[in-house]
Amino acid sequence: MTSSRPTESVQPHNLQALRSFTTALVCFLFWLWPSASIAQSHQTASPVIYIVGSGNDALDRHVTGLLADQLGDEATLMPIRDDQSMIGTDSPVVTIGPVAFSKIRQMNRDAPILALMVEKTFIQGYANRSPGQVSAIYYDVPLVRQALTGKAILPQSRQIALLASTESVEIYEDLIDQLSAYNLQARVFITDSDDQLIPTLVRALTYGDFVLAGSDDAIYNPRNIKHILLTAYRRNKIVIGPSQAYVKAGVLASSYAPFPVMAEMAGTYLQGYLAEGHFPEPDYPGEYRVEANKQVARSLNIPLPERDWIAEQVDELLQSGQGGAE
Amino acid sequence: MSITNYLPENQSRQPRTGLVFRLSLLASAIIGITATTASAAPADQDFNAGFISFGDDIPEVLTTTRLRQPKTRVPGSTTVITGDMIRDLGIMNLYEVFRLVPGMVVNFVGSHQPVTTYHGTVHYEQRRMQVLVDGRTSHKATLSDMDWETMPVPLEMIERIEVARGPNSAAYGINAFLGTINIITRDPADTAGVETRVVSGSRGYLRTFGSVGDAGPDVDWRLTYEKRKFDGFDYQVDGGERFPFRNGHDINSFTYDSRLKFHDQVDLELRTGVVDGTKYNDKDKTAELNPFDDPDIDVRDYYLQSKLNVRTSDRHFFHVMASVENFNRRQPYTISFPDEAVTCLENGTPLFRRDSNRDFPCYPDDAPIAGFAEVDADSEDTRLEFELQDTLIINNDLKVASGAGFRKDTFRSETYFNGRGSNYQSRFFGNLEYTPLSWLTLNAGGNWERTSTTDNSYFSPRLAANFTFNNRHALRFVYSEAVRTPDGFEQNPDWGYTLRNVSPAIYSDLEGRRITTQEAYEVQGWLTLGRDLQEEHIISREISYFGQFPLEQGMLSIEVRGFNDELRDMISGVIQLKDWSVDNNVAIDQKGFEVEAMLEYPGTTLRASYGYLDQDTWYTGEPIFNDDGDVDTVKQQRTTDLLTRMSVRHSGSLAVIQDLPWGLKASSAFYWADEFGRSQFERFDARIAKRIYQSRYTAELAFTMQHYLNRDPELSSDNNIKDHNQFFVEAGVRF
Repeated sequence: MTSSRPTESVQPHNLQALRSFTTALVCFLFWLWPSASIAQSHQTASPVIYIVGSGNDALDRHVTGLLADQLGDEATLMPIRDDQSMIGTDSPVVTIGPVAFSKIRQMNRDAPILALMVEKTFIQGYANRSPGQVSAIYYDVPLVRQALTGKAILPQSRQIALLASTESVEIYEDLIDQLSAYNLQARVFITDSDDQLIPTLVRALTYGDFVLAGSDDAIYNPRNIKHILLTAYRRNKIVIGPSQAYVKAGVLASSYAPFPVMAEMAGTYLQGYLAEGHFPEPDYPGEYRVEANKQVARSLNIPLPERDWIAEQVDELLQSGQGGAE
Repeated sequence: MSITNYLPENQSRQPRTGLVFRLSLLASAIIGITATTASAAPADQDFNAGFISFGDDIPEVLTTTRLRQPKTRVPGSTTVITGDMIRDLGIMNLYEVFRLVPGMVVNFVGSHQPVTTYHGTVHYEQRRMQVLVDGRTSHKATLSDMDWETMPVPLEMIERIEVARGPNSAAYGINAFLGTINIITRDPADTAGVETRVVSGSRGYLRTFGSVGDAGPDVDWRLTYEKRKFDGFDYQVDGGERFPFRNGHDINSFTYDSRLKFHDQVDLELRTGVVDGTKYNDKDKTAELNPFDDPDIDVRDYYLQSKLNVRTSDRHFFHVMASVENFNRRQPYTISFPDEAVTCLENGTPLFRRDSNRDFPCYPDDAPIAGFAEVDADSEDTRLEFELQDTLIINNDLKVASGAGFRKDTFRSETYFNGRGSNYQSRFFGNLEYTPLSWLTLNAGGNWERTSTTDNSYFSPRLAANFTFNNRHALRFVYSEAVRTPDGFEQNPDWGYTLRNVSPAIYSDLEGRRITTQEAYEVQGWLTLGRDLQEEHIISREISYFGQFPLEQGMLSIEVRGFNDELRDMISGVIQLKDWSVDNNVAIDQKGFEVEAMLEYPGTTLRASYGYLDQDTWYTGEPIFNDDGDVDTVKQQRTTDLLTRMSVRHSGSLAVIQDLPWGLKASSAFYWADEFGRSQFERFDARIAKRIYQSRYTAELAFTMQHYLNRDPELSSDNNIKDHNQFFVEAGVRF
């Protein structure tokens, strides 16, 4: 009877060791498998870049298509629906418009985001707080470029009138410093209420050869634009900027960045992120075109050059003015 | 940083309340783009998101219906003088603006009565140009005269003045014979706030102006007040001696302009104004029957105007305008007479008949004053005017403007009409603008009009072809015809002065007696009273070129007009109590050319205008006889000369406006016109202004000097100024 007891006692010991070995192996394999799997996927599949749309299918499809063309096989663009959670991913996220950016930012403050179709004033604070993690391709047009668009159309112009509120006047500060390089000068006229708008505009029109409209929705909005454009038109003064949409309303011209150019720049930023793990700083696109209202120009007896010529002229002026002040 | 801010410049940035708007803008952009999904294919490399995205939010403001016709398509030469240029050049009076217009001249008759005309053919009565203020006919209803000094148009309120040179009856009716002056005042929406200005200068010049207004979602309005005082010329000359010249004015005017906006497509303009003041007249220059005291004119005018603007679509709009204008002039004065005049009235001898020695036996030079009487030259004209104009833009290449008008002129004057009467005019007009090719625009227009002054109807056509190149150059060929019908006073005068308060009592039998032309004429053979006047005709041919040349740093604009006109049945002659000799008796052939050029550089504007006029004038009326029954060739020649006294061969202007450092702006202008009756006009103006931009206001201080290069009076030897350097200072502020 005694001889059987050691046998009985050994068996459990061996079994325990086997169990421990098996557990360690499984743990090792479990530890090893994801790494191998990820390594394998890196070798065989492109990384995923999430894209959050504006909610408009046409716009989102267009931007996604252009971006996909830019990225090619280097990454896979994966649209995210509203009900999909983004929290936890380390993959870069492209957002279209300020609403999409705000949504993603609220869901995950650590998510790397490349914001498209946002203005500098909107995104700059985020980008400063999260350098390399948040970047953008600015949608608004540099004011100095807009000013030179006016100069290219009215070469005799020298003085630029700017309308601003006390809250928005800051957006013109850099511009005013830059203009002297182009033999231009500007003056800001402050209006903070509806009552002040027209009297201030009338005073501004006596100063400026043209009015430069920045991205300031307190001044340039659907409610005010009618009064501004009609008053300026009656005084034979033109308005430049802030965007293409206002050109249709009656603004004489505005520069704008073409979508393919913005997409190309976004592609470069994403490739940079995938390679280095951080985005370049937000910036403006490198190429702009000009939209112009030919009917308004004709009516004001302003000989309007070809749009391409204006854009080229603006580029030349920018280069001539101390190496470009954008 | 240049800034006009009443808050600290570098105020810390506040949270952007506009963020919500911006987000909503994008949201609406998205909605907008959804609607155009089909057209916005992803493959479209020039996807125009800006247009589509914001299109729903930002209305198209400057629609086709709101845009003015470009100069390359205008059927004729038009000079546009902006209000800014008027103010920058330091022009002190409205009528002086026209010295900037090629072919136009300005001078004075009577007691500093300004007269401005295009291509002469006028002297006392300016009656061959249509003058409109905001679409309202502005010349007096029945005497066809322009009273520039009493017009309720402050210089500060002028948006621009458009002068269409050449006959324009096809658009504006039968009085647009030589051209049309269209004065456009600032829209009440553009003058919200408060503005005031004071200008003081030589010869008692004083002008004070103030305006207050507001622009709101439903109503835009403006109220203005202006006071104009001026002493006119300094002295007159008689027998080599200088005498004081009473010829100034003191005029006050109030105007109210408003626009009621019922709907984005419908608004109603309401305008009204009152003019009150005195025009000083010298007894030796103005008025009839040997005035004893100065026959000053008390001015009390008013007008009411309403205009309903309706835009039914982006391509169709019309307006209905109604206005009433009242010109009320009171001119009472005292006359003196010698015994001999009373004797002449008793025995039926005309008061101004000359004897064989060419003396006036009824008014001997050395006769003592025997009696006095009070007379007046009061008149009151009322014009009632309706107009409907419809514009239909069928497409970008085809535009039709058409309309109808009606005018009733009522006159009340014991002196000029011995009672009251009315004239009626009705008209239909239309113009078709067609651009069959990108480089060709055709205009065909006409005006059919009927007037009770001649009981006739007239058709005035205009045809024009504009060949345009690159939208920068246009070559125009214009053919037009126009008529001018005689005004109510020319056609149906009943001129006479009723003697009242006759003193001393021995002449009481003259009380209430009306002295008419028949009792005052100088030479019976000159009289044309009772003769029916016919319309004047003009056929005008114009070849003109308008071109713009963009330069590296500026812009050069040039307009050249060549013309060849035939004017027939022109009404000339003298309108005086003692000499009523107007008739259709002169023909004119005229040709010439005009140049207008502007060169704009950064901070610098150069402008030049020049007009060359070659007129051939001859007498075509019935023979005029003198007292001996012989043909009075001198009188006939004088009749033709009357139409050429303001026809100058060369005229023009040069102007420069220059921005200077420290907010200074300098300007200078040189105006000249040669071959007036006695001499030529030459004046050099210089102005320096300092503009101050402050937090809530813009102020301006300016100094202007006028230097008369030619020291001889041009038209009348009485139009003299003592100092040929005239100085003016002004101060203005706008809040």
